Amino acid sequence: MVPFIQVYGIYIILHGHLSPGGGFSGGAIFGASLVLIALSFNLEVGARQISHATASVLESGGALGFIITGLVAVALGGNYLANQAAGFPMGEAGELFSAGAIFIITAFLGIKVASTIVTLFYNIIEGDDKSGDAH
Amino acid sequence: MEMLIRILHNYYYMVAILLFVIGMHTMLTHSNLIKKVIAMNIMDTSVFLLFVAIGYTYGGAAPIVAENSEILYVNPLPGSLMLTGIVVAVSITAYALSLVVKIYRFYGTVDYDEICLIRSQE
Amino acid sequence: MGLEQHFPALIIAILFGIAFLSPLLFRWARKLSAPVLITTLAMATMMAVYLLVLVYQGGEFSYYMGGWPPPWGVEFKINLLRVYMLLIVLAISLWIMVYALKDLEHELKQELMGWYYSLYALLVGSMAGIALTNDLFNLFVLMEICAISACAIISIKEDRACLEASFKYLILSAMGTGCFLLGVAMLYMVTGQLNYDLVNEALPAAIELYPNNMFAAAALFIVAFGTKAALFPLHVWLPDAHASAPSPSSAMLSGLVIKIYAFALFIMFYQVFPRPLLESIPINEIVLWLSAMGIMFGSIFAMVQVDLKKMLAYSSIGQIGYVFLGIGLDDTIAVTGGFYHLLVHAIMKSMLFMTAGVIIYSTGIRQIKQLGGIGQVLPITMIAFTIGSASMIGLPGTGGLISKWYLALGALEIGRPIFVVIILASSLLNAVYYMPIIVNAFMQQEEFEHEVKPVPRQMLIPLFVGMAAIIFFGVFSRPVISLLENALQIFF
Repeated sequence: MVPFIQVYGIYIILHGHLSPGGGFSGGAIFGASLVLIALSFNLEVGARQISHATASVLESGGALGFIITGLVAVALGGNYLANQAAGFPMGEAGELFSAGAIFIITAFLGIKVASTIVTLFYNIIEGDDKSGDAH
Repeated sequence: MEMLIRILHNYYYMVAILLFVIGMHTMLTHSNLIKKVIAMNIMDTSVFLLFVAIGYTYGGAAPIVAENSEILYVNPLPGSLMLTGIVVAVSITAYALSLVVKIYRFYGTVDYDEICLIRSQE
Repeated sequence: MGLEQHFPALIIAILFGIAFLSPLLFRWARKLSAPVLITTLAMATMMAVYLLVLVYQGGEFSYYMGGWPPPWGVEFKINLLRVYMLLIVLAISLWIMVYALKDLEHELKQELMGWYYSLYALLVGSMAGIALTNDLFNLFVLMEICAISACAIISIKEDRACLEASFKYLILSAMGTGCFLLGVAMLYMVTGQLNYDLVNEALPAAIELYPNNMFAAAALFIVAFGTKAALFPLHVWLPDAHASAPSPSSAMLSGLVIKIYAFALFIMFYQVFPRPLLESIPINEIVLWLSAMGIMFGSIFAMVQVDLKKMLAYSSIGQIGYVFLGIGLDDTIAVTGGFYHLLVHAIMKSMLFMTAGVIIYSTGIRQIKQLGGIGQVLPITMIAFTIGSASMIGLPGTGGLISKWYLALGALEIGRPIFVVIILASSLLNAVYYMPIIVNAFMQQEEFEHEVKPVPRQMLIPLFVGMAAIIFFGVFSRPVISLLENALQIFF
């Protein structure tokens, strides 16, 4: 079941700008698939899929990627987080790669949300929460 | 009578406000910490409902651009705002629950009155 | 269009960026993480100073996120008042961080430092955002980030009092943001806008049709910001939260976090709501009397405390009352006084919490009774404490006098001398609880019997800076006052 859920999650992340969905919903589905493993087998098996260290690095990395995409727009001469105005390539409407920066941003957002959900799950289960930031 | 009809016409606003009040009351008066967290969610959700209700248009289509742009759309803005709101509510809930877990570690209970009792005995 | 046009977004982007970078840095290059945070804060402060220059030269301007103008995009507004607030937030958080580096070493577990830096940067970034944003929903999101990170820098200490205090704070501030969001919904329902200026334009027409929505929104905003800023009857979370947190967090929370909400309330009532609405219902009157009660009761509660940090926390309730008093008096001079107090109190309360932190670091004492004779062993710290309390009381030569002077002038100007009496009475009460500590600390003959650890220089230098700043703002108040008078022109 898990691979199907993951494929569905990735699909939702990638098609966020075309149909309802996007980084948050897709990321949540993807994260939930990893949580499901831990729930249906046990914690060790779950933790083998994605370790705590990887999850928290991905979490920070996803958010950093978002911010850097915004800064790239500034570097290209637009306002912060500007999309077409900053010269991100736009495709044909309706195609997969058609929304410039939105695509990159949702991908980062998906990574961030999925890893955050995994981290939160483990933190609450183990009760040693280290950070309160998640958004 | 006129008042009643007005209320009936706007029942979704009324339900949202009712939920808000229920949530707020539970949050402030119940001593169980988990219930407080749930009430916080009820409160947030009521506001989300209200926002989505504001944005809804009768007979409106989902706001996806299609070939014939003449049709009536539902206002997409409240929906997307509430998506952000839900994310924020999720993170607050997660943080609150992890605090509850830790408080449980220290006191062995999630009831605020019992915690106060334990503290006063020390 | 040069890079300086992007400063409003860049300040917030680099702060949030560093918030996500610092756990990574802490994992891979532990030595770098603290200097990087300090550098970032310093850079952000410089950008804010540059923004101030820009605003002085070219007047107010707006920044559109992603290049989308207001009805669609988030707008940041940069005018004198916003930059004033931004500068306070950034400069004081930089100052506290310098102090925090050493203090945290003994209050926190070593491996949590990276997370602390991360939360700190998030907190500062969200407050900078609140100072600049011109969009109601954006304000809501930033308030939630601010609430979570403020709770987290309390609960990071992981002892029982901290956890409980931060849970209480979290629940009450969630109630506050819930009320705020409902208020925003009420406004959105009748105006269909979220941008401050556009809401303001649409409201006069909407008031005619749906007055109840407006009143509900105004009431909800008072509750929301009142809870967050510890306006008197809604202050119950503050003493526990501020007293149990690590000292740098207390300094941050008492110095800045409650102030930013008072600022947001001011913006709501003076920029978003149109003036006729304010005059048709007694909002100002409510804020006035609540703040007056807060000033009195905060001081009275502070008098009976035995714990030093708890006393400082109760004193904050009284002091935030002055800021609200300025807002409630609705008069240029009084509001100037209120905002000047916002600056001065941010400095002096942060400094007092720092001195409390130094005392705890060096001797481990929290009880006021045991402080007798401490002036002999920690002279610099206690001199800083003396100057801070002098400013709290409002003695001449300190910043506290100037703000109280302007508040009193404003109260007289609109013919409400009763508030002058309240200001004087509370100064007296402040003296009643600060003076005995100072007298005991310096005058007691007997030897100080507790063990004393030497205080590192890095913790003392910020105290010197604080003392200098308090005296500077007490003697040369003119530049700031004239800046504020300029800034407030657009609201009256």
